[in-house]
Formats: sequence, C-alpha cells, structure tokens
Amino acid sequence: MQDSMKGLARFTGLLARAALWVAGTGLVLMTIFIAAQVFWRYILNDSLTWSEPASVMIMGWFIFLGAAVGIREGYHLSFDILLYVLPDRAKNWLHTLSDFAVAAFGGGMIWFGSSLADKTAGNMVPSLGISGAFDFIPIVGGGVLIVLFSAERVLRRIAGLPTARFGDAPLEE
Amino acid sequence: MELWVLFGTFVFLLLIGTPVAFCLGISSFATVLYLGLPPVVVFQRLNSGVSVFALMAIPFFIYAGDLMVRGDIARRLVALAGGLVGHLRGGLGQVNVLASVMFGGVSGSAAADASAVGGLMVPQMKERGYDVDYAVNITVVGSIIALMIPPSHNMIIYSISAGGRISIADLFTAGIIPGLLLAVSLMVAAWFVARRRGYPTEPFPGFRALGGLLASAVPGLILVAIIFGGVRSGIFTASESSNIAVVYALLVTLLVYRTLSWNDFLEATFAAVRTTAMVLMVIGCAASFGWLLAYLRVPASMVALLQGFSDNPIVILLLLNVVLLILGTFMDMSPLIVITTPIFLPVATAFGIDPVHFGVILVLNLGIGLCTPPVGAVLFVGCAVGRIPISQAMKTIWPFYGAAFGTLMLVSYIPALSLWLPSVFR
Amino acid sequence: ADLVLRSSDTHPDGYPTVEAVKYMGKLLEERTNGRIGIEVFHSAQLGEEKDTIEQTQFGVIDLNRVSLGPFNNIIEETQVVSLPYIFRSVDHMHKVMDGPIGDEILAAFEAHDLIGLAFYDGGSRSFYNSEKPIKSVDDLKGMKFRVMQSDMFVDMVGALGANATPMPYGEVYSAIQTGVIDGAENNWPSYDSSGHFEVAKYYTLDEHLIVPEVLVMSKKTWDKLSPEDQAIVRQAAKDSVPHMRELWAAQEKKSEEKIRAAGVQIVNDIDKKPFIDAMKPVYEKHVTSAKLKDMVARIQATE
Ligand code: NA
Ligand code: NA
Repeated sequence: MQDSMKGLARFTGLLARAALWVAGTGLVLMTIFIAAQVFWRYILNDSLTWSEPASVMIMGWFIFLGAAVGIREGYHLSFDILLYVLPDRAKNWLHTLSDFAVAAFGGGMIWFGSSLADKTAGNMVPSLGISGAFDFIPIVGGGVLIVLFSAERVLRRIAGLPTARFGDAPLEE
Repeated sequence: MELWVLFGTFVFLLLIGTPVAFCLGISSFATVLYLGLPPVVVFQRLNSGVSVFALMAIPFFIYAGDLMVRGDIARRLVALAGGLVGHLRGGLGQVNVLASVMFGGVSGSAAADASAVGGLMVPQMKERGYDVDYAVNITVVGSIIALMIPPSHNMIIYSISAGGRISIADLFTAGIIPGLLLAVSLMVAAWFVARRRGYPTEPFPGFRALGGLLASAVPGLILVAIIFGGVRSGIFTASESSNIAVVYALLVTLLVYRTLSWNDFLEATFAAVRTTAMVLMVIGCAASFGWLLAYLRVPASMVALLQGFSDNPIVILLLLNVVLLILGTFMDMSPLIVITTPIFLPVATAFGIDPVHFGVILVLNLGIGLCTPPVGAVLFVGCAVGRIPISQAMKTIWPFYGAAFGTLMLVSYIPALSLWLPSVFR
Repeated sequence: ADLVLRSSDTHPDGYPTVEAVKYMGKLLEERTNGRIGIEVFHSAQLGEEKDTIEQTQFGVIDLNRVSLGPFNNIIEETQVVSLPYIFRSVDHMHKVMDGPIGDEILAAFEAHDLIGLAFYDGGSRSFYNSEKPIKSVDDLKGMKFRVMQSDMFVDMVGALGANATPMPYGEVYSAIQTGVIDGAENNWPSYDSSGHFEVAKYYTLDEHLIVPEVLVMSKKTWDKLSPEDQAIVRQAAKDSVPHMRELWAAQEKKSEEKIRAAGVQIVNDIDKKPFIDAMKPVYEKHVTSAKLKDMVARIQATE
C-alpha cells in the first residue's frame, strides 16, 4: 500500500512541479506584457490594447494552478485551534472530511467552470479576439488538480503517510 | 435559514482546519445548492473576483519583494535604515511603519502594501533578532496607512458609491492627517512592545560607515524614487509602477549587484506564485461569499437594526463603527464600501456627519477589517510573507489593533482631523 | 408580492435607471394585484455587467439593466448602436429605438437566453480633457484619452488622431490629475458623479456616442410566467421608459448646472462633419456583414 502510494506521490509531485512551472511562466509573461504596455505608452506613445486583458487571463491561470498546488503542499492559511485539543484519530477524520469538502469544491470548479465556458464559447473576448471560453478554462484546470491533490491527501492518510498541514512549512519529499 | 447554512458551514469548516479560501467557497457553494440557485454563480464570482486588473499590483509587488530579498537589494536598504534609526528602541519596527507611509502613497492598496513592505522588512527583522510575529503585526496594521494617504482607490470607490456628491480631491486630502496620526500611534505601540520584549538596540555606526551603507543602497533607493516619484509626478499608474518595480529589481540584481543566480530567480518566482495564489484565492472566494451576503440582504438587515436603536449622533457613530467593524471582519473592503455607502451615508448625514468625514471613517474602519480574521486579505498577506500561522500573529497583535482602534475613535469624534486640511486647500 | 423578481443595476440608488425599474415594479404590483414585484440590487451589488449578464442567462437573477457595450461581442445587432456618430441626436436615437429597428434588436436577445424588454437612455458621451478647449479634429491630435475596453472605441479615438488608453474607470481620476492621460469621455451625469470635471475642465459636446441601455429578463424566468403575465411584464417595462426619460433629462440638467457652476469650459458649437467623416475607416472595419450594413442604412434613413 505504502509503496504504491509513493509511486502515486511521485506522479503527483511531478504534476505539482509542472503546474508551478506553468504558473511561474505565467507570472513572468504578465511581467513582460505589462512592461511592454508601459514601453509602448511612454516610449512609443502608442497603446497596446491586448496586454491588459491577456495579463488578467494569465493571472487566472497562475492563481488557480497555484491554489491547487497549495492543497498538496499545504501552504494555504487556516485555523487550527480546535484541532490542537482533539485526539489524533478524531483529527484524522476531520482532516479527511475537510479534504472531501475541498475536493467537492474542486469538482464544482470543473463542472460549473465547464458549463460557464460552454455558455460563453460563442462570445469573443474584446481586444484578444479569442473565445470567451478561455476566461473559464483556468478554473477548470485548477479544479482538476484540486480534486487530484485532495484525493492524494486522503489516500496518503489511509496509507499512514504524512500529509502537509495547512499553515505549516511545506512538506519535504 | 439560508444564513445558518452559510455561516454554519463556514464556521464548521474553519474549525476543522479547512483553508480559509475554501471555507468561504464551500460555504457559498453549499448555500447556493440549498437555495436551489444555479451553482455556476459561485464559480463565476470566484473567477471574476480574481480577474481584476487592479489586483495585478499584488503579484507584482510580492514578486518584486521576493526578488529584492533574494537579490540583496532589501538587505542593503534595511542596513541603511538600521544605521539611521537602529539605535532607537524597536528601530526596525519604526522603519517598517515609515516604509508603509512611503509605499502607501505609491500602492494605494493595503494588500499590495503589506506584500511590498512585508517582503522587504519581515525577513530582515527576523535576521536581526526581532520575533516574526512582531514584524508581521507591524506590517499588517501599518498597511492601513496606505488606504488613508493618497492615492486611495477606495476613496474613489466611496465617492462613486455615494452618487458622486462628494469631491474626490477633498477625500484625498482628508485622509492625510488621519493616515499620519495612525502612523504615529503605531510607532508608539511599536516602541512599547519593543521595550517590553527588550529588543536589542544597535550601536550608532558613525557617519563614515553610514556613508558606506548609503552608497551600497543607492540602486535600491532609486527604486523607491522611481515608484514614489513616478506615481506622484503622474508618469506611471500604480499597476504600472508595481510592474516597473519587478523589472528594475531584476535589472539591478542581474546587472548591477550580480547577486541573483538562476536558482534564486526560480525560487523568487515560485515563492511569488505560492504567496499570490494563496492570497488571491481568498479574495476570489470572498467574492462568492460577498455575493451571497448581498443576495440575502444581510447588510440591509444590519442597517434596519441600527436605525431602530438610537437618535444620538455620538451613539449612532459608535454603532456605525461597530457594525462596520463586524462586517469588515467577514468581508473585503471594496464590496463593503459599495454595499454600505448608499445605506449608511444617508444615516450619517441625517445625524449631521459630514460625508467627507464619514468617508475617512469608513475607509479607516474597513481597513482595520482587512487586518482581522476570519476574512482579512492584509492579515493573510502578512502571515504568508512571515510564514507564520494566523493564530501566532493573533496572539500578539492586540497593541497594534489598540493603536488602530484608538486612531479610529479620534478620527470619528474629532471631525477637524479629517476636515481641516481640505478646508485649507479649498 | 408572491414572486419578487431580482433585478441588477450597476448604478447607485436614486439613479434614473434604478428608479425606472423600481417604478416598473410598482406598475407590476398594481397590475397583478400584488402577485409580482421587483427588488432592485443597485450599485453593482451582484457584480459588474459582464457577470450579471451571465447570471441572468443562467437564471440566477431575473432582470438586469445593462449597457449594450458588453453585448457587442455576443449579439451582432447591438454593435450598430455603438457605432460612433450613428445617431444625429437623442431624438433620432429615440425614434430608431422605439421603432422596428429597436424591436429587431430586442428580439435578437432571445437566442442568448435573454428576453429584451425595453431600451433606456444612456446619455450622449463627449470628450473632456485637462489641456485645452477642443474645437476641431486637429485639436485632438496626439492627446491621450481613456476609453472603455472595446476595439471600436479604441479605433474611433485613433481615427480622430488621438491615442486611446483603456484603463479601469476608478483609475481615471488620478490618471488625469497626474497627467498619465489628458482626458476621457462620458455623459453629463458620469462626468459629474466621477468628479472628473474637477481635474478635466474642458468639455466638448461632440456627442460621439448616444448609446441606449437595455432592460433584459432571464429566459428561464420568462418561461415560468403565464402568457398573460408575460404581456403584463413587457407592457410594464415599456411603460417605465417615458418615466425613465423624464428622470434622465432632470438628472442631466442637474449635473450640467453643477458642472457649469464649477467653472468648466464647455464647447458646444463644433462642426461635427469632420468628426463624422473621420469615422469612415472605423465603419469599414466594423460594419462588415450585410445585416449590419443594412441596419446602418436604415438608421441613417430614419428621419
Ligand atoms: Na495610498
Ligand atoms: Na476582516
């Protein structure tokens, strides 16, 4: 059980790493786009109309991917007051319940994000000329990772492996 | 009943250790399901809550801060500040507050300010033997100063929410003295806490050494000058200046100091992604939660309650402050301004409170709300930057809450603090 | 009322559109013996227009008062009224929107899960700036104006020889004050309520856009109503229009008086022809389909 879990953890670890790379690339792209906008406005005395909406869309990507990785690495902020006073067994059950709730929300991001993307697919994003569906693809992508990483947390706990606790230092592999 | 579902789920999840962002999102999701509304609205609000151009200043300032920390800019700046006022009790705490006054003029956003000042100061304070909670506390509460000192987008939102009867120029000017008063109160609080904890003071290094510190900090000082001077002189907007801060920090660390390795760059980028994603996820989910509060008419019910309570202006002002503080505990600033202004402003003016004065009270009050759990964007940024749990920051933040609350009371009951300066400029 | 329709508006309480929808709610209550009423969620409490449109499409909210701008990329027919200088005057706009062309545009909403009920006034937008009184197209050369994020408005400003700078509305005040941009464009009430007249003291009434706004209902809600109630709702919406126009005229007058009293210099005697002539490339780029070309021709032919 633990061995197969470790195999799975290697896979999700790679996935989280990839998501961080995509998100990091997004942050760098945003920086370049807005810098270009400043350059165009002040040096070339012209306007870049696509840089702002493009950057906002990229921001969506890196927020939802980053938030999903945060589930795995445990860097989201939370309160842990009640949990201090409970025995380990009860703590584990509550953590698992919490992971299920988060997974359900991730499921909502996938399902309802898709239906928003579907509804707006025929619209055009102003200044970018791409389908309005792109507005909602980041939320769907983030949802997929949130479900996966929440499931991993539950499985790790069942296998008796440690999970990163929210508010604590990131889990070392 | 809907409210029980909303708040009950929220509190329950909070208690079992679910991340705050998801507590907000999941309780909204559950309530919408309970109401039989199409649940798309929760995820739409989440998406639009983070798709706001003005929010971009937050990742950029966090990123610039991460780059400055890893590329040695921050250390040199704080070394200079330490040389200047490090011999005072709680010296770096005082510098932190002053940094908020300075950055506050630039960013206009408390969250961006907390990320910029916090990213700069917290690691340095940690290194020099200050407790992290002290550094985080000052950074968090100090960021309220940013809301008061112009430019302040929230003042503009207030004026627009009030139907435009209030001059924005007056509002901007009115915020200056309360902002400085808050700075002074926080510096006093920082001094007392520093004395009680016995933080070490550093010896004055002498003017020769100070000159050396100054020379090595010049590129960092230029960065401050670019951000501050750029916005003041009208060359850049706040979002643009936050971006320039990133580009400039990259150029200096790569070309001038040559201190930033490829690994440092990657680490700074990933750290910025983690911090920003965490903060903006809370803001996005708070957008869903706030939508439901509005849909369920919670602010309106609060006001109805208030109006049936008293007819004394002093009591009403106190009640308004209390209600705003409570609302500010649960919701974020700009949606609250938009929702409460049309309802509270008529109450305030009916009791003879000047609209400009009320705007300053509102922004200061809701600014305190940004620093209080369970929903406080600035508190989250501060804790994220200092990498401490909220509970640790909460244990020792009270003197600083006290200073902010005292300032709020002074500003509430001495209208001249807000209204004198605009009258001079008019 | 047994059925309270939730209606969204981004404008504050007391604004003509908000009051018009409240008035429509009053009419509905009277005509249905209190069975149907309306509650207006003003001040963008439920979200900005792009978001509340989606909420209306999904049936989360029932009614929505929105600008036509956000529909330009969704419903082709709405583009025609967003064309610069398409209407000669507010009267001309009223004639077109009250007639068959207006009905045609309202009908186009149904394919997108919305029922178009009525058009409200959105005022006429003109340029203001902090630099100089603008009397001709040449005066605009090289100046920087904030416009809404829309290709058409960017192209319009470009065709006039100026630079379009899309930026969030809330940033405009300090951007003008600090000189990041020279000015922006809007109608009297918004020029007033935004406080922009405090920092941009020159207003040129070129009336480049006279864009009506629209009241839509969710098709999901609509389909739940009996045919009789549908007729009552449609009629109450139509009947709120004259009331709205009165309120709007009063609001415009009030704002204009306040702005004039503040010492703003107003240019209202420009020759519009060179402005209109400069729009040729904009029309060529944006009016491409046969349907739009035909609508433009019919609007221009409306007396
Ligand atoms: Na500020
Ligand atoms: Na709060």
